[in-house]
Amino acid sequence: MVYESKFKISLLALILLLCISPYFFHSEYYFTLGITVCTFAVLSAGLNLLYGYIGLLSFAQVAFFGIGAYTSAILVTQNSWTIWTALPIAGIFTGIVGAFVGYTSLKLSRHAFAIVTLSFSLLCTIIAREWISLTRGSMGIPGLPAPTINIPSLETIVLDRPNYLYPVFLIYTVLALFLFYRLGVSRIGRALKAIKLDEPLASSQGINVLSHKILAIVVSAVLSGMVGGLFVFHLTIVDPSIFDFYYTESMLIMVIIGGPGSYWGVLCASILFSVIPDLLRFSSDLRMVAYGVLLIISVLILPNGVAGFLRNRNNKRWKIH
Amino acid sequence: MDITFLIQLLLNGVVVGLFYGLVAVGLSLIFGVLEIVNFAHGDFYMLGAMLAFFSGMYLQFDYFISIAVVIIVSVFIGYLLYQILIVKLKNRSFEQSILLTIGVSMVIQNGSLYLWTATPKMLSNLYSYKVLEFANLTLPMLRAIASIVTIITFSVIFWIFYFTRLGKAMRGISQNRDAALMVGIDPVRIGLYAVIIGVTLSGLAGAVLAPIYTVHPTMGFAFIFKAFAIIIIGGLGNISGTVFAALVLGIVESFVGGIFQLALVDAIAFIFMSIVLLVKPEGIWGRGVRV
Repeated sequence: MVYESKFKISLLALILLLCISPYFFHSEYYFTLGITVCTFAVLSAGLNLLYGYIGLLSFAQVAFFGIGAYTSAILVTQNSWTIWTALPIAGIFTGIVGAFVGYTSLKLSRHAFAIVTLSFSLLCTIIAREWISLTRGSMGIPGLPAPTINIPSLETIVLDRPNYLYPVFLIYTVLALFLFYRLGVSRIGRALKAIKLDEPLASSQGINVLSHKILAIVVSAVLSGMVGGLFVFHLTIVDPSIFDFYYTESMLIMVIIGGPGSYWGVLCASILFSVIPDLLRFSSDLRMVAYGVLLIISVLILPNGVAGFLRNRNNKRWKIH
Repeated sequence: MDITFLIQLLLNGVVVGLFYGLVAVGLSLIFGVLEIVNFAHGDFYMLGAMLAFFSGMYLQFDYFISIAVVIIVSVFIGYLLYQILIVKLKNRSFEQSILLTIGVSMVIQNGSLYLWTATPKMLSNLYSYKVLEFANLTLPMLRAIASIVTIITFSVIFWIFYFTRLGKAMRGISQNRDAALMVGIDPVRIGLYAVIIGVTLSGLAGAVLAPIYTVHPTMGFAFIFKAFAIIIIGGLGNISGTVFAALVLGIVESFVGGIFQLALVDAIAFIFMSIVLLVKPEGIWGRGVRV
């Protein structure tokens, strides 16, 4: 245990160092990179809650991300709300959609669940592309205004550059990840893990399987939706490509390589897989080919990810001595 | 609205439905025998179309010869896919098989984007720009030929499925895996045949449809989602249900597109699927989406 807590403290210190690292370089590029890391950290933690804890392979995460993005963008541009009021509303709306999708798809088998959540994401792309009066179709909604912070008796701060936007992302990410962590170690988190291990047994112990599953879907939908709502103000445009399968594939890689069900493993993987390919300047096609190969290898050789592999090795070591 | 127009819409719908069926049947077969949802199915369709394009444009192969070439290559790809990857999954969970096929799909799709770029390619051959006319109804020559090839393929598949020992074994496995094993059916060998047939059907669809639609690396993507909806509507693993659902979808799309001129034609498959799932979750003839 001592060994483990020391490891976690040093890991936490390393992550903290990474959080403030963009301030060492005086370049906007590193802040942009930091924003990408934050976004993917929240997204992959959301998928991890569903796949790693309960074993629901949901492809609807990218849909919640995009719905949150569109909701906040539309509220800000067409109803001239500020981003700070639009974000919670986007979160609530995504949560309601998540509850609806969860309620309808959870009654089906696991096979149908995967296909239905995937179809839901695609349906969202089609709606975003075709409901032109609301979303402006493929042209998207460009020129989203930069968020401002209005403190009375001080001048208005305009967050129009990645340098200023990054702290907002960081605060949101830390809050969201803390919530995921608390949920994971709470009674609910243990119930979720019990459901993954043996669903009939869990339900015989008085755990309401359906409501726990829906709760997990709603929590990850709300947090992914809000990060989506924030992310488009960094992009300054929202178009149907926010629902791109690329986000799903990246989330999957981070969760699978990091280790489904391992909070820290997935967090490390989402940092690594957001930063390294960007720093190496891979062509994006080749990057996805490499991700695909990694995914295949990981499924065949490391079904529990790197974290699962380390855990197994430790378990073996304890058994021998 | 005159009757000719409606019959024309019906004809178009049936033809498109046949094409959907060609892709969906392979997907349904692989699911029925192996319980694997093959996310890479659309990419084999794309590879078939690419191969047909290159053999037609650069090697000047005839339409039918390039179809034959694609069939041979697809059998080989199916064999490799099964022996190198799928067989290693053994009894892993269903989600692992999805992840594996997504990985395969990412490699094929992005590899093709890198090699051949996203530019759509047009394949034209002897039969392009020719139109069959019959009693005020028109049907492009290529679509007519493709429909005939599809009907022949369906006949062969139905013959295999309902009149041979292999088909009996496949149906046995998809009805009850354990019982099939008990009576001496080898699931590994039957799985190999199912994957080969499934991948070949997908490749064949690509080769047949290459001159009708444009060929590009992400062409399989939109197609495969409709195929997913179709196999859910028809009941996962049910071959006849799949063909029927494909035809119905093709006809409904054609009528909705022709009469209402909706831009949302692509969403019909999903709306249709949602209704079926809400009303009858086991599919129209399902052996059960619920487990």
